[in-house]
Amino acid sequence: MFAYIVRRILATVPVVLLVALFVFSLLYLAPGDPAAIIAGDQASPADVDRIRESLGLDRPFLVRFFDWFFHVIGGDLGVSIFTNLPVSHMIAQRIEPTVSLMLLTLTLSLSCAIPMGVIAAWKHGTIIDRAVMMTAVFGFSTPSFVIGYLLAYLFALQLDWLPVQGFTSISVGLIPFLRNLILPATALGLVFMALIARITRATMLDVLSQDYVRTAKAKGVGQRGVLFVHALKNAAVPIVTIVGIGFATLIGGAIVTESVFAIPGLGRLTVDAILRRDYPVIQGVVLMFSFIYVLVNLGVDLLYTVFDPRIRY
Amino acid sequence: MSATTVPPGYTAAPVLPEILPTPKERGRIMGFINRHPTIVVGGVLVALMVLIAILAPYLGTKDPTALAPAKRTRPPSELYWFGTDMLGRDVYSRVLYGARVSLTVGFSVACCAGIIGTTIGLVSGFTRRIDAIVMRAMDGLMSIPQILLAIALMALTRASVQNVIIAISITETPRVCRLVRGVVLSLREQPYVEAAIASGTRVPVIIWKHILPNTLAPLMVQATFICASAMITEATLSFIGAGTPPIIPSWGNIMAEGRALWQVKPYIVFFPAIFLSITVLAVNLLGDGLRDALDPRLAKRL
Repeated sequence: MFAYIVRRILATVPVVLLVALFVFSLLYLAPGDPAAIIAGDQASPADVDRIRESLGLDRPFLVRFFDWFFHVIGGDLGVSIFTNLPVSHMIAQRIEPTVSLMLLTLTLSLSCAIPMGVIAAWKHGTIIDRAVMMTAVFGFSTPSFVIGYLLAYLFALQLDWLPVQGFTSISVGLIPFLRNLILPATALGLVFMALIARITRATMLDVLSQDYVRTAKAKGVGQRGVLFVHALKNAAVPIVTIVGIGFATLIGGAIVTESVFAIPGLGRLTVDAILRRDYPVIQGVVLMFSFIYVLVNLGVDLLYTVFDPRIRY
Repeated sequence: MSATTVPPGYTAAPVLPEILPTPKERGRIMGFINRHPTIVVGGVLVALMVLIAILAPYLGTKDPTALAPAKRTRPPSELYWFGTDMLGRDVYSRVLYGARVSLTVGFSVACCAGIIGTTIGLVSGFTRRIDAIVMRAMDGLMSIPQILLAIALMALTRASVQNVIIAISITETPRVCRLVRGVVLSLREQPYVEAAIASGTRVPVIIWKHILPNTLAPLMVQATFICASAMITEATLSFIGAGTPPIIPSWGNIMAEGRALWQVKPYIVFFPAIFLSITVLAVNLLGDGLRDALDPRLAKRL
């Protein structure tokens, strides 16, 4: 198992490098010459060249890439064109709302989706199964910002139960924190829930037809025990895989949901950066989310060994 | 036919033309509807949206970009079916014209990503040396969350429908590529492909005649899902200001403009949202139905 873990960790290194290369190329290809911008309108071409040289912008692509990459590893993501603040600093300021939103969304959607999928598979072919699958198709087809507006209209504007928008830090108190986040998390989680419920149902259907499930039933294990202990544990590998892959939709959805609910997180930072064409910030956010995504999927691969000790690649 | 008596003052109706299908044909059509209800529902809805998009100028719309500051933010009424937005533009007209952008982006991305992904996947699945490099590059591309990659690509270029299509196609291509490559890898071990290789058939012919036809079914299903996902991505990009230029009415743009006012005038946001959701749902239903019809083994499971 140890060898597998080491191998999986080593295998992510080239992926991380590739992602970094893509993201670096983006800034490299971005329109506008930074040296000319810094030099100003009245600078002569010689001045611009001198600034370019002092910034190291005249060096070959790969040299600049590795120079930049080692800065990134050290936590230096460059400086925002617009605010002149370090990008890592700006990200650190905005990370709490986004992480809170994503964790709450994950908790909510997983705790709904897995029972839904299990019950749909157990009651395969009945009305319950169809209802779950229809909900899944609807959840899958409605963009999270549409659901967000719908929920906010119903529960905040019409019924006045919850705040329309905004964010309260968990340090203020758990209740206000949850009251602010519950609508965005539901809106964001519906797509994710649909995805997980579908895959849970599909793999459970497979597992429930296995011999060991029949054996478990025959030796007198209760219905709940069969479903949630014997079957679900064996269905876990595909489910966790989809959770890992679906994490990308969660990241994308979080950016938009934050705009809908005016949550001052990384999504808002991204949107502001797009509107101002603040390339270092865009680059920093894309890079950070991609690394998180890669790490989550590495975590998923390592979880395989917990759920299925047979796995030794 | 016996001669029926026609009362004076009336004329006999001419024999009805045979436009209705014969009972046998009707049975076949009803059978298809019964067996694949999702294909029918999805297909009809998609066709309806396509018709709306094409016929937008003839469906009682006005110029979707015409400003009328005196008639700002009117609620839905007989004159303005979906109301007017903050610049006095007719939301009904804008939503109908917006269907053009969404459908164009959806279909174009499905075609572009489908064709490019298939080509790369076929070549990659058949040549080991290219395979390793190409698949690592695809892994890298897929490691960047889709919307973020699209945002980054859009940040590089000018906002236009064409660039939106290119950016979303780039994000969708790796998925197609992987799918096709997987099919190719399993097919090339099949006896009939080995037989073709043994009898000296050239590789391009094998790919074209023996491999490609077998990838078409999963490819079609994948293409519908890509179409749906591309429409959501386009709306998302436009909604956060990184997609279709604001001058072109697209569902994402209309919602982005309605955002500031949505607590007092929610209809500006809700009408494009409803159209977007219905269209995406229809395309997804079509894809689900196609998958069930083309791959009965999967249909039982998913």
